[in-house]
Order: sequence, then structure tokens, then C-alpha cells
Amino acid sequence: MAIRMLPRRTLLRGLLGGAAVSLGLPLLDMHLNNNGTALASGSPLPRRFGLFFWGNGVLETGWTPEGDGKDWKPSKVLAPLADLHDEITVVSGMKVYTGNTVPHGSGPAGLLSGASLLKEDTDSFAAASLDQIIASAIGGETRFRSLEVGIQKTDKCMSFNGPYSMNPPECSPRALYERLFVDGFVAPGSGPKIDPRLALRRSILDAVSDDAKRLQGRLGAADKIRLEQHFEGLRSLELQLKKLEENPPNLAACKAPADPGEDPGDIEGRPQLAATCRAMGKLLAMALACDQTRVFSLWFSRPVSNLLYPTASAGHHQLTHDEADPQPQVFEILQYILGELNLFLKEFAAIQEGDGTLLDHSAILCTTDCSYARAHSVENYPILIAGSAGGALRKGIHYRSVSNENTSKVSLSLARAMGVNLASFGKDAGMVTDGLGAIEVG
Amino acid sequence: MKHLTSSRHPWWSALLIGLLACSSEKTEPSPTPPPPGPELPALAAQTGAQRLSVTQYRRSIHAILGDDIVIPTALEPDQPQSGFVAVGASYSTISARGIEQYEKAAYTIARQALAPERRARLLSCTPAGVTDDACARSAFQALGRKLWRRPLAQDELDRLVALSTKAATTLGDFHEGLQFGIAALLQSPAFLYRTAEGEPDPNNPGLRRYTSYEMASRLSFFLWNKTPDDELLDAAQAGVLVEESGLRQQAERLLASPLAREGARNFFSEYLGLNELDQLSKDPVLFTYFSTEVGPAAREETLRLFEHFVFDADADYRDLLTTRTTFVNPKLASMYGIPAPNLQGFGRTEHPEDSPRRGILGHISTLALHSHPVSSSATLRGRFLRSRLLCFKIPDPPVNANTALPEPSPELPTLRQRLYSHLTDPACSICHLSMDPLGLALEQFDGIGRFRRRENGVNIDPSGDLDGVPFQDVQGLATAMHDHPDLTPCFVRNLYRYATAYPETKEEQKTLEALHHEFRASGYKVRSLMLALALSPAFRLSQEPR
Repeated sequence: MAIRMLPRRTLLRGLLGGAAVSLGLPLLDMHLNNNGTALASGSPLPRRFGLFFWGNGVLETGWTPEGDGKDWKPSKVLAPLADLHDEITVVSGMKVYTGNTVPHGSGPAGLLSGASLLKEDTDSFAAASLDQIIASAIGGETRFRSLEVGIQKTDKCMSFNGPYSMNPPECSPRALYERLFVDGFVAPGSGPKIDPRLALRRSILDAVSDDAKRLQGRLGAADKIRLEQHFEGLRSLELQLKKLEENPPNLAACKAPADPGEDPGDIEGRPQLAATCRAMGKLLAMALACDQTRVFSLWFSRPVSNLLYPTASAGHHQLTHDEADPQPQVFEILQYILGELNLFLKEFAAIQEGDGTLLDHSAILCTTDCSYARAHSVENYPILIAGSAGGALRKGIHYRSVSNENTSKVSLSLARAMGVNLASFGKDAGMVTDGLGAIEVG
Repeated sequence: MKHLTSSRHPWWSALLIGLLACSSEKTEPSPTPPPPGPELPALAAQTGAQRLSVTQYRRSIHAILGDDIVIPTALEPDQPQSGFVAVGASYSTISARGIEQYEKAAYTIARQALAPERRARLLSCTPAGVTDDACARSAFQALGRKLWRRPLAQDELDRLVALSTKAATTLGDFHEGLQFGIAALLQSPAFLYRTAEGEPDPNNPGLRRYTSYEMASRLSFFLWNKTPDDELLDAAQAGVLVEESGLRQQAERLLASPLAREGARNFFSEYLGLNELDQLSKDPVLFTYFSTEVGPAAREETLRLFEHFVFDADADYRDLLTTRTTFVNPKLASMYGIPAPNLQGFGRTEHPEDSPRRGILGHISTLALHSHPVSSSATLRGRFLRSRLLCFKIPDPPVNANTALPEPSPELPTLRQRLYSHLTDPACSICHLSMDPLGLALEQFDGIGRFRRRENGVNIDPSGDLDGVPFQDVQGLATAMHDHPDLTPCFVRNLYRYATAYPETKEEQKTLEALHHEFRASGYKVRSLMLALALSPAFRLSQEPR
């Protein structure tokens, strides 16, 4: 099999904020070797990147663990993750340097894109988000370039390919199930799909691409970039169809999950976030185990989300501002979210791959839209990393920055751990050329 | 320039005659011509490509292929900007998942359109066999023009025919083959984006204008929120939409059609953010009157009133703030404490003279949307009035603002008292003074818009001041809003953004002022403003694509 060309999308500097991207070793043949530590071709097991995000930050105190290095004790807020102590790295004391002008927006833009929000429209990032930077490099290997899912029902999230170019999340477990495991899923061990319609559909996509190209020549500069994104979508879809015509990867851990059934509805005006998150967790874990994608983001709740949690007397955002200290209800909500994060990570830990687990082969960045929600602060930014990206990252430690280091360092380390050889991450005050050595291996 | 500026004089007089003829309940004194106002400058709004919104996609399919086509619900969601889907459509891209969804929808739709019981709508010929290029070509020619809102070029037709023939040969069926060609039409950016290239304007050397076909799309999506119909496409083909008279004739036809009601409802729904009412979340324990039907019903009330104002009463836009007329179903009537006009569904009614409810400020849509899930919010309501209805730009709160409000207590029973700190701390009051006092006037309505006199056992004080105009109660606030000098310019600005799909630049302020002059001269009639906008240079001239 030939090594694929560098995906064209990685060359779109306009969309990637000028980041220089190169691809690590391609992961082609999915047959495990005899030890189960690598693929038969000699390549290591694929590494996966994920993002688990919730809105409205954390409390003023009670987040940062006691102790450093391997000897850390979960803080009061982090208690729900205590039994995953050895799988998680906590990074505290980091700061967003790209300005803090838009409450709930500036923080994630700084951490995930290394840049301020778009000046003309602060609903949009000005540069690609970390998940998409990684997907640009490794997304071409799998049926789906990346998957975005929402637990709170929403059309918005912070997965951006570039300015105004957001990837709306899938918020229905049932729709995600159908997209992943019904429409055109080929079970491992079975032969490639033989359907003349697949080739015909690809020829239509070719024709549509030609239309887009022809149109592009007649558009202004800004619309040309938008159409470029359209091409990316068309290319991704062509690749998806092509994958169906190839032998499916033979992955021992891959088993099509059960139909999740109807989506959980609201109960007395309150959404069933836990049930939705658990259903999504099962689907995402299996999507990765079946190598349908290697990049995902899960948006538990939106920035400024005013969701009514099960026992809360007011919406989440309102409570962060109006509840008197020590904000017991906000604390309860955080326990709820981190409890679901625990179960989510356990789905990954439960899947054996070779001599490790799916979680071992993943790096999942868990974070939120600010530090202390009432003040919208971006110092001591809440950052957790679950998994070790196949041994590239240290896990089970608490790294405490004592000098307000730049959050971009974490993003750079994560991208590099995924085999994306970036020279730097971020722009202007958000730019760093060194990762966070303390969490990297070797 | 002459042919463009000349549109200013006759338009309103001709229109008033036409519109007043269908006005059922208002008798206006015959208007005297207004003094000439500022001229509409020969200045194009921004030019570029817009994604079809979800609604526009659905309505295009239904109009062109039939109302009985079932369209998949999962389509790339709209991304509103500056409050408008139409503006977001000029900037946002289509994601990879969106491309997948459009592909899936294209085949689902094509299959239905070519089902045996429907295919006669698309085919005027009987295929001679598995392949019949002439028959396929005639189908693509007719359908392509409707879907792409312009005629297809020969090479575009050739390619569609070749693709369909290949598919038909592979699958052994003419109609199955044709499905692939239709799926190509539906996935093409020529369908999914409204594009505009413009052409040199022979009447205005050095300037560009939209082509006749581009004007058909602009007019139709502005006034109908829908793809052009056959008559409009024929007018485009005849080249008359680049001429004043041809454009006027079609604009008047579109405005007189019932479809214009759909278009106007869509505009108003976006302007006031009423689509968010579908997601309304309220604590049902606190608000026993609340149920999931309330949000959509509340939106319907507001849209019916707007529709009534614009198309039936041809009323003064400002009276939307003060009217006692409204449209309710039994659920809303019970929440308002008034008799339901109909046992089922909506009917027209009047609030009693002594009712505190006046116009859209008293609508559950306004009051419930700009509240918290468990309580009212003077700040959210005030912000809505200020920023949406008066176009006052309120900055984001400083990121480190202390936003905590004290809990209700015997000393601080009402929200007015608890908000006191926002209004006395200079860091807060600089913005909150523009919002909270207006919202406090609406405190006699709870978080879902039900009337109350007291909060925690204490009478609520609804008095206040709007930019120097004092008022005693909600009715007074409604009147002050009605008379506020920014109310109608703000409406013009928002309609302009909706129509042109771009936020206005500084230079375009001149256009807005001239349009506002015409709006005022018409007696603040919304249809008059729509026509003036459609005929304005801003709408007809194009820039070099963005």
C-alpha cells in the first residue's frame, strides 16, 4: 500500500492559522502482531485524540489537587475521578495569554486555538481548534475525519476548522449510531462492501467538486476560502465511500454496539444529560475501537449554558453568578459532570487493545470555558488529560505550574503526542514553540 | 444614476393605493406627499454567496419537487450572526458532516421525486429504453433551471446526462440512473449557495449591478424566504429585473402573494429571536402553567400579530408596541386570564382597556424568552429592548465583574431592591442603567410572563424612565418605546441586514437614513419599506464579490 499524500487540507494555511503540519507515521494495516503491542506492519496501535468539554468553569477553590507528581490527592471537586487517579494527569497553574475580553469565550479560544476570538464575530474562533489541527493531519486515515457530539442539545460548539467554520455537534445518540454503525458500516472480518452505487456516488461527488471548482473561480476571496471548506467535506465523503470498498480493519476489540434506542427525553423540563452522555460514551468508544475515527470532541454543555440540572434550583450559569459562597449547588453540578466524565473514561478503559486499553492509546483533554466562573478568570485554567496517547504522555501525575505558563504549551504537547509535528502552537501572545516537558515522555 | 434615484418619488404613492385597497380596518386620511428626504445613494450593499438556510432548502424542495416529498430532518444547522440566519449564511461554511447530510438528503429526495407516482412531474417524455439522452436532457434542463435559479450551460447539461446514462447502464434502469443526476443537482454548490457575480451596469458606468437572474433570487429570498417561482424566473430570463419597472412589477406581485406572509414571519421571527422559543426551558414546579406547548404558541401569537399588522391592517409599525389587539389560543388565553376567542386554535382578541398588557412587550414570547428558567430577569428583558428594538450596542460585561445578586430577604423582597448594587456601582451601572430600569418596568410579569402584583408579599413598582421620558407603569413604558426616536431606524437597519444578508458598513448609514425617511413618509408601513428596499440601489447594485 502506498503512503498517502499529505492531505491537501493541511496546506490550507488560511484555515489553520499558518501552523506548519506534517504527518507522523501512517497507520495502514490494522492486523496486530503476535504480541499485540503493535500492528503486524510494525506500526504502533493508532493513537486517538479526544476533547471532553463542559460550560461554566469551576469554583474559586477546591479544584487544584494537593501534592505534586505521582503523589497527588484528588481535590474536593475532582473527587469523582479518584478511582481513575493513575489514568489522569492534572495540569494546574496554567494561564491563557490571548486576552480575556469575552466571558466564557476567550478562555477556550486561547487554550484550543492559541489565539483570541475572531474580532469581527466573537462567536467564532479566529483559527482552527486543536482537535481539527490534529484531524487535519491524521483524519484522512479513517472513515470519519473527526466526530463531534453534544450532550446538551445545541447547534454550536468550539470545534473550528478556521474562522466561521464550525463543526456542528451531533446531539442525538440515535443519529450518531445510525451514522456510525448502520449507514455503510462494514463489520471487521467481513469482506469489503460490493455495491455499484458506491462508485456511482463517488462519480457524482467528483462532478459536484467540479461545480465547486468552477464556481470558486468566480467568487471573491472570502467566499473562495469558504468553498475550500466545502471541498474538504466532499473529499472526506469520497474517502468514506472508498473505505467501504476496502477490506475493513481487523480489530479484535471492534463490535458494533447495540442500538441505543430512542433518545432520552426531558424529564420535567430537565434534560437527561447522564443518560445521553452514557449512550454517547458507548458509541464513541466503539467508534474509536473500530477505527472509524481517531479524533473526537464531546461537548457536555455549552459555554454560558443555563441548563437545569436534576436537583438545582436555577440554571447552571445563573447559579455560578448568583449563588452565595461556597456555591453548594454549583459544586453539585460539577460533581455530576465529573461523575459522567468518570463513566465516560471507563468506557475507554474497558476496551482491551493489545497489551493496553483504548484509554492508554488515547489522549483526552478535559476542560471548560473558564477557571472561576463567577469571575470568568483564565488563570489556573482547569486542565485534565486522560490516557497517555500510547505512551507519549505521562499519566497519573499532577503538574503544578508555579509561573503561570501558557496553556498553549499543553496543546502543543498534545498535538505532538498525536504524531503531529508542529513547530509551534498559537499566535502572538498565545504562541509557544515548546510543549510542556513535564507531561511528555522522553 | 437617474433611473435609480427616480424610483424615490412614485414608489410610495403607487404603493399606498395598492396596499390600502386591501386594508380592511383602517381608514387613513389620504396622504399628502412628504417633503423630499435624503436621496438613496448609489451604494451597493456587500456582495457574496449565502448558504441556503434549512428552511430555504426545505421550501425549495417542496416548491420544485412537490409538497409530499419527505425531507430528512438532519441538515447542516443554520448559524445565525448579528441575530440573522441570513447574515450567518454569508459567512459560515458547510461542515464535513453537513456534506454527508446533504448527500443523504439528495438521494432520499431524488428517489421520491422519481417514484412511479411522481415522475410525471419531472418527465415530459417516455424514455425509449434504459438510456434516453434526449429525455434525460429535457428533464435536467427544466429542473436544473429551477434548482439552480439560472439556466444550465450546455456542458453542465452534457455532464449530467453522461452521469445519468452511466448510472442507468450500470443499474439497468432509466429512472434509477436519473436519480444520480438529480442527486448531483441537489448537492451542487450552485443549489446550496446563492451566489452573485454581478455584471457591469450600463446605466451607471463604473458600477456593477446584479444580473436579472440574480435579482430574481434576491427578491424571492428577501420577500418569500424561498426560491423564485416560474413567473419570476421567466421575468429574469426576459431580462426585465434589471429595469426599474420590471423589478417593481415583480416586487409588487411577490408582496401581494400569500407567500410574502411566510417571508415576513421569517424575518420577524429572526429579528426577535423567536425561534429560541422552541427550546424554552422553565422549571415546571415553579411555573405550573408552563408546558412545552407554551413556547411555540407564544411565538405564533407574536408572528400572527406582526402578520396582521403588515398584511391585513397595514398598520403603523410603532403600534406593535402599544396595541391591545392580539391572537391567542386557549392555552395563552388562560395564562393571560382572558376568554379564549376560539375553543381550539388561535383567534383574534383585544386585551381590556385596563389590562397592563400592551403590544409585544406584554407577549409571553418576549417575557418568557428574556427570563431565567426559574425567575424573571430585568437585565435580560432590558437588554432585549435596548439592543434588539432600539439597536443600542451594549458591551459584554467586564470579565471580572461581580455579578452576584443578594438572595431575596425581608429587607430585599423585590428584584428592584436586589438589583440596586448594579445601579449604584459605577463599573456596573454604566451598562446596567441602560437595561435594568426598562426590565424592572416588566417585573409585574413573572418568568413565564404571567401577571403578578407582588413579589415576596411586596407590591412591585413598575415605574421608571426611558431616556428622559418618565413612566409610571408598563403601559407608560410601551408608549415611551413607541415614541422613542431609535425604534423605527432600528427596524430599518434590521430589515436591511436581513434583505442584504450583510451587516451594513459605515458608508451605508446614508442608505439607512434615506430608507428611514421613506419609511416615515409611508406612515411606518412595513410593506412600503420592503418595496423601497427591494427597489433601492443598495439592493440592485453589486460590489466586486467579497
